[in-house]
Amino acid sequence: MVLSSSLPPEFDRGVVTTVHQGDCLVSSEADLTFSTVLGSCISACVRDRTAHVGGMNHFLLAEQSASAADRYGASARYGAFAMEQLINQVLTRGSGKKANLEIKVFGGGKINGALDDIGAKNIEFVREFLLNEGYEMAKEDLGGTYARRVMFKPHSGRAFVKRLDNAANASIAREELAVAARRHKLITKSVLDDIELF
Amino acid sequence: MPKASAVSVMIVDDQQSMRGICKYILTQLGFTNIVEAKSGRDALGKLEKSNVDLIISDWNMDDIDGLTLLRVIRKHPKTQAMPFIMATGRSDKEQVKEAISSGVNNYIIKPFDASTMKKRIEAVIGVLS
Repeated sequence: MVLSSSLPPEFDRGVVTTVHQGDCLVSSEADLTFSTVLGSCISACVRDRTAHVGGMNHFLLAEQSASAADRYGASARYGAFAMEQLINQVLTRGSGKKANLEIKVFGGGKINGALDDIGAKNIEFVREFLLNEGYEMAKEDLGGTYARRVMFKPHSGRAFVKRLDNAANASIAREELAVAARRHKLITKSVLDDIELF
Repeated sequence: MPKASAVSVMIVDDQQSMRGICKYILTQLGFTNIVEAKSGRDALGKLEKSNVDLIISDWNMDDIDGLTLLRVIRKHPKTQAMPFIMATGRSDKEQVKEAISSGVNNYIIKPFDASTMKKRIEAVIGVLS
């Protein structure tokens, strides 16, 4: 993992694809870079070392009710699904062996002092998830009081993190929570509208 | 009209977190007899020893995946009529058609909640009392 203010050359060429909140993207393209901006959100970068297939997700467990503390509440279910979806997609396109996975985790900043520390709750969730599933974090850049830009090369597994100026914190925090609220409504609606095959 | 506490449910998932979520929801719905299997192979072993009335299985698993498990169960005389619900991600809808042709009774899309799970179970075993 590179933590710097200047972009290494390998991240400065090829195709850059933005990973938005709720996305889960997987690729084996050598010239592709996944890029995202994280405030309190978490991104996991999962790569199959032998198959050179990697992916990035981006999620926020924004629920602040009593059920957020509940490890099986709606918010935690969404997070577990986001992690499972990424791991399964990398396994399916890669070697299929969990032992070959390399996992790096980023985000969970405390970027808005007026709110509860959502970032810390997200960090707690992802640490517990990986521990329960028997995965180790190969690298992490979690917490702090800043937002980050994370870039990840799915083929090589290289990651680049740039800590962003605090001036951007408030707008990133607002946007993250607004997107999370919209996604929650969408998920609820899609479950209700689910196609009945039987 | 089946009573949830009288129905034995097997959860098959290789991820401990997803088994935990599924068990939590089933408990909310009144199920008390819940068997956990951490792989397709584990499920087949436990089916030999346990009396199970309903299987809820993940699709993607390391050794025997959900579809293969379903096919094995449908071939075995003891388990061929066993109610089977497949849990799957939204992007797997095309695969659901394959599961239907292999004899799945219903499916549930992740992430799911208690009311969706109840609907799916009731569609397979009848309205719970």
